Amino acid sequence: MTPSSSIAAPGANPAPEEHHDHHPSYLVDGTTIKSWLLTVDHKRIGLMFLFWVLVFFLVGGIFALLIRVELLTPGPTIMDAMTYNRMFTLHGLVMIFLFMIPAIPAVFGNFMLPLMLGAKDVAFPRLNLLSFYIYLGGATLALWGMLNGGLDTGWTFYTPYSAHTTATVAPVLFGAFIIGFSSIVTGINFIVTVHTMRAPGITWFKMPLFVWAMYATSCIQVLATPVIGLLLVLVTVENLFGFGMFDPARGGDPVLFQHLFWFYSHPAVYIMVLPSFGVMSEIVSTFSRKNLFGYRAVAYSSLGIAFVGFFAWGHHMFVSGQSTFVGGLFGVLTMLVGVFTAIKVFNWVGTVYKGAVEFKTPFAYFCGFLFFTVFGGMTGIALGTVSLDVAWHDTYFVVAHFHFIMVGATIMAFLAALHYWFPKMFGRTYHEGWGLVSAALIILGFNATFIPQFLLGNNGMPRRYYEYPERFQALNVASTAGATLLAFGFIIIALYLTYALVYGKASGKNPWRSKGYEWMSESPPPTHNFVGPQPVFPEEPHFYVDPKKAEVPNAV
Amino acid sequence: MQSSSHAAGGALPVPRLAGHFASLEVQNHAARLGMWLFLATEILLFAGLFICYGIYRFLFPEAWAAASRSLDLTLGTVNTVVLITSSLTAALAVHYAKDGKNKAVAVQLGLTLVMAVGFLVIKYFEYKHKFDIGTLPGRFYSYEDIQLPGVPLYFTVYFCATALHGIHVVIGMVVLSFSLVRALKKADFGPNNFTMVELGSMYWHLVDLVWIFLFPMLYLV
Amino acid sequence: MGIANESRQEERNMREEHHGAGRYWLIWGLLLVLTAVTVATGRIHIPTWGLLLALVIATTKGTLVALYFMHLADHRGANRLVFAVSIIFVVLLLSIPMVDLGTRFRGATPPGSTYSDLQAIDIGADAQEGRYGGGLRKEGKMGEGSDVNKK
Repeated sequence: MTPSSSIAAPGANPAPEEHHDHHPSYLVDGTTIKSWLLTVDHKRIGLMFLFWVLVFFLVGGIFALLIRVELLTPGPTIMDAMTYNRMFTLHGLVMIFLFMIPAIPAVFGNFMLPLMLGAKDVAFPRLNLLSFYIYLGGATLALWGMLNGGLDTGWTFYTPYSAHTTATVAPVLFGAFIIGFSSIVTGINFIVTVHTMRAPGITWFKMPLFVWAMYATSCIQVLATPVIGLLLVLVTVENLFGFGMFDPARGGDPVLFQHLFWFYSHPAVYIMVLPSFGVMSEIVSTFSRKNLFGYRAVAYSSLGIAFVGFFAWGHHMFVSGQSTFVGGLFGVLTMLVGVFTAIKVFNWVGTVYKGAVEFKTPFAYFCGFLFFTVFGGMTGIALGTVSLDVAWHDTYFVVAHFHFIMVGATIMAFLAALHYWFPKMFGRTYHEGWGLVSAALIILGFNATFIPQFLLGNNGMPRRYYEYPERFQALNVASTAGATLLAFGFIIIALYLTYALVYGKASGKNPWRSKGYEWMSESPPPTHNFVGPQPVFPEEPHFYVDPKKAEVPNAV
Repeated sequence: MQSSSHAAGGALPVPRLAGHFASLEVQNHAARLGMWLFLATEILLFAGLFICYGIYRFLFPEAWAAASRSLDLTLGTVNTVVLITSSLTAALAVHYAKDGKNKAVAVQLGLTLVMAVGFLVIKYFEYKHKFDIGTLPGRFYSYEDIQLPGVPLYFTVYFCATALHGIHVVIGMVVLSFSLVRALKKADFGPNNFTMVELGSMYWHLVDLVWIFLFPMLYLV
Repeated sequence: MGIANESRQEERNMREEHHGAGRYWLIWGLLLVLTAVTVATGRIHIPTWGLLLALVIATTKGTLVALYFMHLADHRGANRLVFAVSIIFVVLLLSIPMVDLGTRFRGATPPGSTYSDLQAIDIGADAQEGRYGGGLRKEGKMGEGSDVNKK
């Protein structure tokens, strides 16, 4: 069951680098800059993605704070209206394309997928590196465009405004187009890895659930991203040359733009959230020390969400001018996604039930995640009801809903993954106390930021508005206060994690005593993940309790 | 994705097995599956243009019919035949690569490239004619003889679709020429080593597949 | 070490078979024949059903290319699944916006363009002119002679 790599003498706790003289950890195997920049090691690529993803999260977060500061007063506070338009556009673009879409897949997917499958790397390692540089190239172009006369259309760049605005459209949209390729390449890499590189003994239904989630996410990435790629090119061309594809003055249909846009962008939100569901399946099993309840149901529900996510895009267009028949159709189809998500939630709760819970930082994030997923999801179902959405569309209710899912679910999961796999990636532990404190700050700060926004939206405050009536000010101030709290939480995390990187205690191979497959290699792993022949995996992952040998009947 | 090295003793050349794959077979299967996934993205890319076509044809049927008649059906048919034949030669190139007949591979790939150039030349003449008479997209449309609502939109769709297709023809040509050069220089394709040709050929077939649908949609409304 | 990573099922699926070259020539011939059919039936501009016929022929040609030139007939398993799934989503992307256009409020679209307008007589067209193109107005050149232009 254990890989035949060299095993430390019991009781010894050397620094990770000295542990293996002949099989150095991936962190120190090659210390030149070139060995990092030209690496094909999926773990190093994952770390490089981590660095840049965090940088862009900081950029997006700064713009979020600027927006919230501006909204402190009903009139102008620190900027004029055009600048405000650019602020929220930049916040949306950076957060979605530069942070959320790559975050868990490109960082943790890259790092963990081969480890979880007993493989030495992903299927196409050089393509993996290319994906990283495509991501950086597109990000540079898009950011350069944003800072040079930036886009003011909102991240959804609806036509006809995006075709006629004098703000810089071409570099930003084309940068996003390039980033799309990074997404596609990562998706292709993961799908092929899962199909062809599973170690002996890992059948499809013995794969870790994080792998299932990444597989489903990759399917969405491959199928949906080309459509937005085409749309970005078409809008850029229309803005530059006036071809009139979506321009009503030339017979074009702006609703067609919206169909094409949301055909990608709705599955895109599942690209953002499915990996977080996968992370949580891993964490909930580890910290309840219990087999995951209903493995197959969770696996199938990942695929189900990916599939059904493609059928629901019109719920972003209920008031756009599409036919009412199709509006009704999408309203019904949207409800299906809730079924699959609910299956997951029940199974997670079923896992925790009667488990031996260790309330560590990742589990704290799981608790926040569960609360936010349920409320974000339920408000999503409410928004999917056509009659309700007519009132809520383009208000802060929608903004609060998607932030509940994107921040509440996905970012909680990202932080949970970061803390759970920190020992695996760096061989060090962080200070658990500070971990719990910042988790609490983030959960509280998040609630303080976004619950007022639900109320604002329900009371009628529209989104993307620069000025608002006096009566909305109190809730806006409350939201900004919460955002500040949230920012503090992130700053504290940055501080203690950086400290842990440099001064943290060595963690040992498996500090959580998890039975996930990735913990069977060293922490941090050597460059080729396993030393010697490929490990064998006779048990399913997270097999804490053998149902046949359990003392208590119905233990799992 | 793999480089080949001549095995000692003049045996059939075998490409290098990348360290993370279990066997050469798995490596080839992975390459093929990866290419199919990439082709799936290309299919979805063109689908976006096809729905634009579908919506606007539905909205402006007379404009579509009239504008389509202004296209040169003969040139379009010739282009279709050329592309289908180039697909044949690409498939034959893979066939000969499996047999290790590198000269034949080079010939077939060369023919494919020649026909691709032919396709682009004909396209050039079609585009030139359109620029001359003024049947151009959107605000550039200036053809007096067809004045119907929606006609400039037809040419927007036409130019976007054929230009995107043309870009893919060029990309396919670049990909195939890598295989051509290798068939000529290293001449090491064989039953163990034909994946490079196969992947390039698969891409080329997709380019053909898209044109098979574009042709009746654009020329035969 | 030659431990196969793929399951034995997948290995069976992907086994290569090496046919003779004649197959490709045959498919090429079929494709040319179908192209001729496309052109012949396209030139007569069958109203309404001409589009469906053209799509059916094109789909047949595409299937031939995919199955034989791209070897999908030989490779069972994942490759077929990828191709089939992508086609499913293409159909999804193509059909739902068309349904949207077809069921919109009548005032929002040009006369005769919605599902409820399928009667040619309603829009002043006669049976020669199809909903999806194909026919031209009888009198004069394009655009002239339509009721809209007449005072």
